[in-house]
Amino acid sequence: MRNSDTPSSRLPTVLLAATFGLAATVSAQQSNDAIPRTADGRPDLSGTWDNGAGIDFVRPKQDGDSICIFGCAGGGALPLNVAAPTTPQYRPDFAARVADLDKRQVAEDPVLRCVAPGVPRIGPPDKIVQRAGEAVFLYEDVSGSFFRIVPTDGRPHPTNNEPSFLGDAVGHWEGDTLVVETVNFNDQTWLTDNGAFHTGDLRVVERLHRTADTLEWVATAHDPAVLAEPWELAKRVARLTDVEIVESPPCIDRSLEHMVDDSHHTNPR
Amino acid sequence: MATNKLLVLAALALAAGTAAAHHSVAGQFDQAKRTTITGTISKVDWINPHVYIYMDVANEQGAVTTWRLESLPTAMLRKAGLTSEMIKGGGQKVTAAALMARNGTPNLAWLLNLTYEDGHAYTLAGE
Repeated sequence: MRNSDTPSSRLPTVLLAATFGLAATVSAQQSNDAIPRTADGRPDLSGTWDNGAGIDFVRPKQDGDSICIFGCAGGGALPLNVAAPTTPQYRPDFAARVADLDKRQVAEDPVLRCVAPGVPRIGPPDKIVQRAGEAVFLYEDVSGSFFRIVPTDGRPHPTNNEPSFLGDAVGHWEGDTLVVETVNFNDQTWLTDNGAFHTGDLRVVERLHRTADTLEWVATAHDPAVLAEPWELAKRVARLTDVEIVESPPCIDRSLEHMVDDSHHTNPR
Repeated sequence: MATNKLLVLAALALAAGTAAAHHSVAGQFDQAKRTTITGTISKVDWINPHVYIYMDVANEQGAVTTWRLESLPTAMLRKAGLTSEMIKGGGQKVTAAALMARNGTPNLAWLLNLTYEDGHAYTLAGE
């Protein structure tokens, strides 16, 4: 009887495994090597990032001196990475309140009054400046220019800050992923355009992972007092861009007084 | 998965349609009341969430009325390479296509496009 487990019979399998193993190792190495790193060996997330949604998906067409932004023949603007949105699921006691706020969004949505959109509604950072021990997230938002400082040196959340629109963030590294936990929010922002209110106990965890010239951003909102389960947003992928952000001009709403019905506002970011 | 693709397509269509206006154009402007006016642009308020463009329009008797044309957020215009000075067009005559305000506010409209006397045009929103 032929022994199928002789060294000679195992050789092709071993070679195959070795080959694939080597290929996998090389592939992983190439992937890791593609990540720019800071002096301390951490992935360098620094850069200006086109997050593929909101204002960033404008892809204008130019024809001589003429410019088309929307409504162009053949399409002038295409979204890049707008994934199917997910919806926070609320505890049954709060479903009616969310539905009511959603219906009256024009009257109630804080972001339509030019306040900071909160986290995670503000979306991925438009720019990151990173150094050993901290990362700074910068945003050129319709509501204004915003920043978030993310210490990564192991310090705990501060205990003496007033609750705020963008909260208090601290970060740590899990392998090559920067994990940012943010707490101490006020309750004056929504999670989405659709009446998704939250409490001051909101806790948001963002995970940022860079490859060569892309940045993946995943966020999860935890607010067990009102949410039936943690809400994980659809992953966003931002691309490195050479279009620098600038100071946001003043946000002064002049539209809402002219609204004649409850037509929904969608505010992609 | 087909369902997911449909959802994505729906999201894309939604985003493309609504982001052009930042908010719902339908709630403020009447898509059935399109107007065309010709004049000169006297001022641009470079503000968010909507840039406002002021156009001086003279009637046959020479009386000038200033229209307020609401447009996109500043970053959209900037990323398209537009500046307030470009929109002013150096004072040359310009024709605007726009949608009138639903609540009857006179001389307030949602800007669709601008076509300048020298032939170049800026298309800012679909009709």
